[in-house]
Order: sequence, then structure tokens, then C-alpha cells
Amino acid sequence: MIDLKHLSIAYGETSVVKDVSLHVPEGGSFALVGESGSGKSTILKAIAGQITNWTGRIRLGDHDLQQGRDPALIRLCQMVFQDPFGSLHPRKTVDTILSEPLSIHGLGDQNRRVLETLDAVGLARKFRFRLPHQLSGGQRQRVAIARALMLDPPVMLLDEPTSALDVSVQAEVLNLLKTLREQRGLTYFLVTHDLPVVSFLCDNLGILRQGELVELATVEQLKQQRFSSEYGNELLSKSY
Amino acid sequence: MSLLNIENLRVSFPTEQGPVEVVKGISFELGRERLGIVGESGSGKSMTGRAILRLIDKPGIVTADKMEFDGLDLTTLPNKQMRALRGARISMVMQDPKFSLNPVIRIGDQIAEVLSFHSKLNARQRRARVLESLEAVRITDPERVYKLYPHEVSGGMGQRIMIAMMVILEPDLMIADEPTSALDVSVQAQVLDIMDDLVTRTGMGLIIISHDLNMVARYCDRILVMFNGEIVETCAASELANAKHPYTQGLLASMPTLDEHRNRLPVLDRDQLGSV
Amino acid sequence: MMQLSHTWLLDENPETRFQAGAGQTYRMVRALLRNPLAVVGLVIIIGLLIVAAFAPVLAPYSPIESNLGARLLAPSADHWMGTDELGRDILSRIIHGARITLMIVLMVAVISAPIGLLVGTVAGYFGGWVDRVLMGLTDVFLSMPKLILALAFVAALGPGIENAVIAIAITAWPVYARIARAETLTFRNAEFISAIQMQGASHTRVIFRHIMPLCLSSTIVRVTLDMAGIILTAAGLGFLGLGAQPPLPEWGAMISSGRAFILDQWWVATMPGFAIVIVSLGFCLFGDGLRDVLDPRNRTR
Repeated sequence: MIDLKHLSIAYGETSVVKDVSLHVPEGGSFALVGESGSGKSTILKAIAGQITNWTGRIRLGDHDLQQGRDPALIRLCQMVFQDPFGSLHPRKTVDTILSEPLSIHGLGDQNRRVLETLDAVGLARKFRFRLPHQLSGGQRQRVAIARALMLDPPVMLLDEPTSALDVSVQAEVLNLLKTLREQRGLTYFLVTHDLPVVSFLCDNLGILRQGELVELATVEQLKQQRFSSEYGNELLSKSY
Repeated sequence: MSLLNIENLRVSFPTEQGPVEVVKGISFELGRERLGIVGESGSGKSMTGRAILRLIDKPGIVTADKMEFDGLDLTTLPNKQMRALRGARISMVMQDPKFSLNPVIRIGDQIAEVLSFHSKLNARQRRARVLESLEAVRITDPERVYKLYPHEVSGGMGQRIMIAMMVILEPDLMIADEPTSALDVSVQAQVLDIMDDLVTRTGMGLIIISHDLNMVARYCDRILVMFNGEIVETCAASELANAKHPYTQGLLASMPTLDEHRNRLPVLDRDQLGSV
Repeated sequence: MMQLSHTWLLDENPETRFQAGAGQTYRMVRALLRNPLAVVGLVIIIGLLIVAAFAPVLAPYSPIESNLGARLLAPSADHWMGTDELGRDILSRIIHGARITLMIVLMVAVISAPIGLLVGTVAGYFGGWVDRVLMGLTDVFLSMPKLILALAFVAALGPGIENAVIAIAITAWPVYARIARAETLTFRNAEFISAIQMQGASHTRVIFRHIMPLCLSSTIVRVTLDMAGIILTAAGLGFLGLGAQPPLPEWGAMISSGRAFILDQWWVATMPGFAIVIVSLGFCLFGDGLRDVLDPRNRTR
């Protein structure tokens, strides 16, 4: 479903992503792990069409992505962002946030779709007309997930979706993500530094260091704490 | 003898619906040890730290039956003495070094400024002490770092500088509020090791306020778990796995592990906890 | 049944879009009314509105007809603010002048704020050469003294209220453009903007639906605070004889004509001066209060 071939990204002289190739099958759940500055978010942004100057190939389904804003991208993948406080427009109600993608694409039956999606992400209907600041972090993240689901994309890009949340709320959101994937056969591409989250949510992972992919591993390797690269094991030892 | 003794500490804020208590009468003692205060957002953990330093801003109201630091009554201490105490004897490390360092002053000068407030050293002695303290937080080339501006250093380095600034006066108590949550995992461990090392060497008391149960369990001797403004559990860090309170147990269970085989994570039932 | 009650407005779980919107407005109004200075400002502005609306009813005399038999009378029970050199009642002229002042202020705001908002958000959103061109233009206008620029335009277009309004509007928009651009820059890379772009929103949609509403409150605050300046500039143009033309009772022009008698008949110039001061103050106080309510940085979660 997601296929990266020799993806390189440079800002001016400094290259931040160096020749990364990886493949995520349809319905798969892949995690890209690494520390800040490893280039993991940059790769995510390139897939999301927010970065224009990449080289190599990005293939989603059977569509080769163009540089920049590719209109085909909209129906193919949507993103859930890290910061539940920064990813929702502060002056728009949950209802407006969720119905906007429908209006953009002229899709009808907005009322039913909004209510259905609220139900799907486990957000009570009474929250529909609240503003983001009247919601808790976990509720906001549910709204962000609901927004990503509105256009029914097969691929979800997840940018540290739970790192800004409390542990107990993190569990709720992780459960939700797992359920949604099972119900809808979504393909997940997750960026994180949190190995336990990968263990819960993903099938495969790639370890990124300073823009280079040092290892592609299965989640079984993670669970048994047996990576083949030295850096992978270093990350394991620092995770507690 | 205990370093810090707190009884029935309450912090409340007035709102439209009447005053809301965010810390509801907590009591604890601290010796020369490492204490972790753990809780989720809204548990009152940060407010507790700020209340000890009398840093709760205006509309907030702090009351306590007893708030003693090394025999000094913090509730009645005049503001001037309180300011002298902060920094010199109690210091606080904040979450994000970016917001705590003045961006237009060189790092060395900022640390030296602390000294000029609280000590009578001359400029040369101050500089020597600053370099010494930078070395103490394992900065290998203190001379170079002294001349840098805050934006020229990484997050981990910034946090080490903050710690250098806090320990230069050799305080008796250090309060660290989420000292590492803005840092990468690998850097986190390094910063915590440095703090740990300083605490053991100088014998100061340490309070780490964090949401991260595992981190606190690893770096502290004793743990207080806060929920809804109350301390629901006090235990030795090594005994955390045997926690008794349902909230603590719930928190521990809801964290995914490296070797995760559960299909769903157990979720806290907040309504039920509220009535416990 | 829908009822406009306190609890309905403050309901945390509004059932309709209308209720959500009404509740927000209600909260803001309540916060504003808790600020005594803002209330004073509001009272002055409402007073101005009432006076302007009912000018013919409130004014005891005609503002234009001269009565040479009653020239330069000191304030008295008949003429509370005295009369001017043509025997016109100054109070009546000030009351009618409120209409002119209000019209100038509103016209300027209606013309300049949207221009500034559009230029600023477009420049901030697109960045790059669009930003450089638009902001260069803004800087050109900003670098010229306001009154002088307005003077030049009036000189070119001819004196009169409409031209004064256009001239002031032309000098007023760059400030709003700068503010809107600065504000746009703070969230143009925000995740909620990325999110809506990823959902296929056009640039126009992002700017009008997502960025502008966020810049709106600071622009409104700034416009309200600027109203005092606009009144003063209008009065300045009137004073110089380039704004409203006689016999229109424009406050600045009234001061100008009273200038000749300032030593012996102080009230002729002073009374309209008071009017300008009070109304300007009203807008300033209200603007300050509005900022406290609307400024997102002051808002608690």
C-alpha cells in the first residue's frame, strides 16, 4: 500500500533523509522509530505532501505521488497529528471541523456522516457542538482521528498520536486506533519514539538514525528485544 | 530530621462556579532522599511543587497547616527571604529549557548572574564557579559553552545547563518539574543520571514531578501517586509493582510494554475511581 | 422549545450550532461587562450612537441656520454650550456633528479593515515573493506620515467628507495588514492548517475560513483602538479646511472656526474639543476591554 523507493530529502545542503526504501502491505501497520532529528517526521511529511523537494519514489496504492500537493492524495491518506491542542482550529466546533471535509468535496448527508463518525471514535454526541478548548486532550485526539476518517482514506499517517496524552488516555486512544484498523482494514504508518506503543499497535518497524534506515524489523524481534543492528539494541536499552 | 514537612496543603482557584481545589489537603515529609510525585495532568502535582516555592500566581490561594523547610516556616516567611531561599537553598528545574533561559544573554553570564544575586564572589571567582558547574553536568568543553547563546545548544544540553544553574549554589532541595519530558529518550537518561549523580554526591533532597511512572520508579527512592489533588498512594519505588490503590494499579496496567501481548489495553474507569 | 436563559446559554453541551454560537457570545459579553473601564467606554459609544440617531429630536436648535443677533453668546440656560460666530447653537452643532463623526469612523473601518486583513493574511499565508511585494507596498504607506498622506490625497481628490474618508482609509489599512500578517505567521504552519490542506481545501478556503477568523479579533481590537486616531485625523482634516465643508457641523472644522475667538470666547473651540476627547476616550477604553476579552493569549482553557 505504501512503497518508498530511494527516498531522499534535503534542506539546502543538509540531507535529512538518505535513500530510504520500505514497503507497507495493504492493511499493515508500520512504525518508523528514531530520535528527534532522525528524519522520521520528514518522511511522514513527504508522504503527506507537505514537503516538495524529495527525490526517489513514493507510491500509495497504485498511484505514484507527484511532488507537492497531489490532489489524488486527499482520498488516499489522512493524518493524525501529535499535538491534540494544535491540530484543531481553536474557534471551530467539533461539528464544523468534521463537516468541513464533506463540504469541500461536496458530499451530502453531512448530519448522518458526522454522527456516525462520532460514534465510531467513541465520542458522545453531546460533544458535537463544543469548541476544542472545552474538550480534554483525549477527546481532542478522538476528534482529530474522526476528522481523518471523514473522507474514508485507506491509509492513516500517525505522527506520535499519543505522546502528548496521559498514560490512561493513551491506552484509550491506542485501543481505538487498533479497533478502527480491524474494522476498516486501514493501513497505518506510525512515527514514534515510543517502542512499547509500537509493540502494541504495529506489525513491522523501521529504525531510523540520522536520516538513514539502519534496520527493518518485525514486531516479534522487538518483543524478544532482538534487533540485528547495534543502534536498535541501544534504543531498546534506553527504553524503560 | 526531615528537610521538608508539609501538612494539609491546599491550593484553590476561584472560578465562575466558585473556588475549585486543585490540591486537596496533602501531607508528606521529605528527608535527604529522592521523592517522585507522579500523576496525570490535572492531578495537582505541578501545583504542589509550585506551592512549596510559593510560586502560585495571584487568584490562586494556598493554605497549609504546616509547610516547613529545614525548620523555616514557608507559610509566613517574608517575600524577601523567600526570594533569597529560592535559588540559594531550594531550586526548581522547569520542563522546557527553551522557555527558562533568556535568549539574548550568553549561557555563562546567565549562570553567573545567579551567583551575583546570592553570593559575594567577584567576577573572576564567579566565572570559575560557572565553568566548574558546567563540568559537573558533564559538559566537556565548558569554555566554549560559556559563550554560547541558548538557541545554539540542543534540548539536552539546555536542560543540563538549567541543572548547572540550579546546582551552582548547592541547594538543599531541588524540585524538578517534568525535567525530561521535552527531551529524547536517550538524552533523558543522560540528564537524569547527571541529576542522580549530583544528588548522591551533595546529599541534597530531590523531588521529581512527572507523569512518567517508569522513569520515576527508576530514579527515585519513594513515590507519591497523586489523583484529583490527593495523594492516593505512597510507596517505595521498588514496591511500585505491588501498588494497592486501584488508580495506581490502573495506571500501571494501562501502559503498553515492550513485549505486549494484550489485544486491548485496560482503561481506567474514572467514574468509579472518583467514588473510591 | 428554545428559551434564551442563563443556563441555556452556558450549557456545556449545546444541541445546535445556534446555541453554541449564542453561548460563546454571551460568555464574551459577560466578561466584557465585568471590566468597569470597558463599560464606561461602551456607555460613551452607545451614547454617541443614540445622539447620532436622534440628532434632530435632541438638538434644541438648527445646526445650520445662523442667527446673527445671537453671535458668540456664552453658555447659558438657553444655549448650554453657547453660540458661535454665526449665532448657531454649539450644542446642536455638536449633536449633529456626532453623525458626521460616526459616519467617518464607520466608513473608514469598513473600507480599511478588510483591505488590511486581506493583504496581511495573503502575505503571511503564501510567504515568499507574494509576501515581499505586499509588505513592501504596506511599508511604503506606513513610512509616510498619516496626516500628510491624507492631506495629499484630499488635495488631489478635492475637499469633502467622502474624500476625507477615502484618504484616511488609505492611510489606515497598512497597520491592519501588518498585524494580520504577524498573526498569520504564528499559525500558518500550525497543524490544524496542515490538516485542512490535506483534506483538499483550496488556498482561498484556508485563508477565508480558517486564517481570517483567527486574525479577526485582533483586527477588531486594533480598529476600535484606532477609532480615536481616525476621529482625530478627521478633525485635523476638518481643522485644516480639507474635511467636511461649511456649514456642516464637523467637530474639527468647528474648532478651527473657533480658533479666532479662543481668547475671548473660549467655548466656541473648547466644546467640540471636549466632544472629540470624550468620544476618542470611549473608543480607547472599549478597545482595551475588548482586547482583554478577545485576545486568545489571555484566554484560560
